[in-house]
Amino acid sequence: MNTRFLALELRRAVRNGRYLIFTVVVPSVMYLLFVSLYGGGGTFPNGLPVTTSLMMNMALFGVMAGPLSVGARIAVERAIGWQRQLQLTPLTGSGYLFTKGTLGMLVGLPAVVLVCVLGAVKGVQMDALHWVGVLVTLWLGAIPFVLMGIVIGLVASPDGMQAITGLASMLLGLLGGIWIPADVAPDWLATLMKVLPVYWIKELAQAPFVSGVDVKQALLVIGLWVAGLSLIAVRRYRAQS
Amino acid sequence: MTETAVRAGAAVALGGLRKRFGEVRAVDGIDLVISPGEVVALLGPNGAGKSTTVDMMLGLSTPDAGTISVFGKPPREAVVAGQISAMLQSGALLEDATVAEAVGLIAALHRKPMPVARALEQAGIADLASRKCTKLSGGQRQRVRFALALVCEPDLLVLDEPTVAMDVETRRTFWQQMRAYTDTGRTVLFATHYLEEAEEYADRVVLMRSGRIVADGSVAQVRAAVSGRTLRAVVPGAADLDLPGVRAAERRGDQFTLTCTDSDAAVRALLAQHPNAHDIEITALGLEDAFLALTGEDD
Repeated sequence: MNTRFLALELRRAVRNGRYLIFTVVVPSVMYLLFVSLYGGGGTFPNGLPVTTSLMMNMALFGVMAGPLSVGARIAVERAIGWQRQLQLTPLTGSGYLFTKGTLGMLVGLPAVVLVCVLGAVKGVQMDALHWVGVLVTLWLGAIPFVLMGIVIGLVASPDGMQAITGLASMLLGLLGGIWIPADVAPDWLATLMKVLPVYWIKELAQAPFVSGVDVKQALLVIGLWVAGLSLIAVRRYRAQS
Repeated sequence: MTETAVRAGAAVALGGLRKRFGEVRAVDGIDLVISPGEVVALLGPNGAGKSTTVDMMLGLSTPDAGTISVFGKPPREAVVAGQISAMLQSGALLEDATVAEAVGLIAALHRKPMPVARALEQAGIADLASRKCTKLSGGQRQRVRFALALVCEPDLLVLDEPTVAMDVETRRTFWQQMRAYTDTGRTVLFATHYLEEAEEYADRVVLMRSGRIVADGSVAQVRAAVSGRTLRAVVPGAADLDLPGVRAAERRGDQFTLTCTDSDAAVRALLAQHPNAHDIEITALGLEDAFLALTGEDD
């Protein structure tokens, strides 16, 4: 892993205005907005306080948008010929994908931290170990989205890429239970939600606080997504080089 | 030196190289050895197979048949070692990075890069370091690509149409910088459409056509291979001329135009046979004529 290259890539990604707005500002503002809409208190039927549940949802939203956009940038670098330039250096194909993946994980981190800090300010209370658990779970929840971004970057054209990532993060948000809780969704929608990774990351994050979370199934669904997306990414990349 | 010894010490050695795309034989059996320190121009019309050859030398694509070695190594190993680098013809630069950042990214990936500032200076763009890559003229962009290629201090620099989009003045400066680089003993292979560039800057010209090498030699040799020289003279009273070293003759009144394979022999015989011959003029054909003759379609 070339840390100097990663650092320069990170600076480039973070400086981007879209990144700041979608992955740092939007989740934080939405969190504050939703908390005030719910009146700042109370609990959901599953027993989780509103402030805690919404904190997890908005952190997940941030963890989706940033990594998706980083991966999707591959589409641009591929189209403009920058990848050819990179092929004239010691960087290998897997090194390139690994750097983009790490980058995606890093840009997802500020949203998680910021929303959780706002959560604490808004009265979310849990012991230190649980805080760490929630932060790490939400952050690691970025993995499928990082991979999704890479796949989109390897498949889409630069023009199509923006539409696809926009649509993907909206659909994932809607169907993943970020904007609508799965409990209130009709059966067919709830079934669809449970196919997507978002729902299960939320389940894992709230596992210590609510009863009846199927951790095994959560890990299975997320694991299948990660394995499937990795396979597609590797095959796509090989086919292109 | 034996053929094998030359190949072993070569900067580039291509043997029986072939690559086809569907039905098209883009590269159709190329043998080429470039020695360290040579400045070689690769000339040919579009579709001659220049870029395909260059891509294979850089390890960007794999040949269907044949061998490639760059400083005795497979291309990819030479790339990893920073021994070969290229200024690619197409390809935009990162739109969200400055010139120094783009060069810095590439430098970060190489094992023994030169400082970014020095690469910018050698490419003549030190003043553009903090300029966004989107705000560059065509010529400036080419020089950024030059800096990207230079930063790993390659022993062999491959340039694909380097001066395209440059005005005359910029082009001249570019070649001066290139000269400064090759004077340090580096090897350069450049593809170009500008014949005068090949004439002026290359030690050696390799002409390609339809995936094959049709001529290979010094500028003077390539010229001679096609045309030799043209001898013009006014020879009063001569009905016909029978001279050695002449391939073709044309007569208009007393004015003769002779296409010579050996103009020295021809002019000596001419003056011996016709002491009254005057207005004698011997000219070499330009590389352009050689180029057109060699790369033009067969009639």
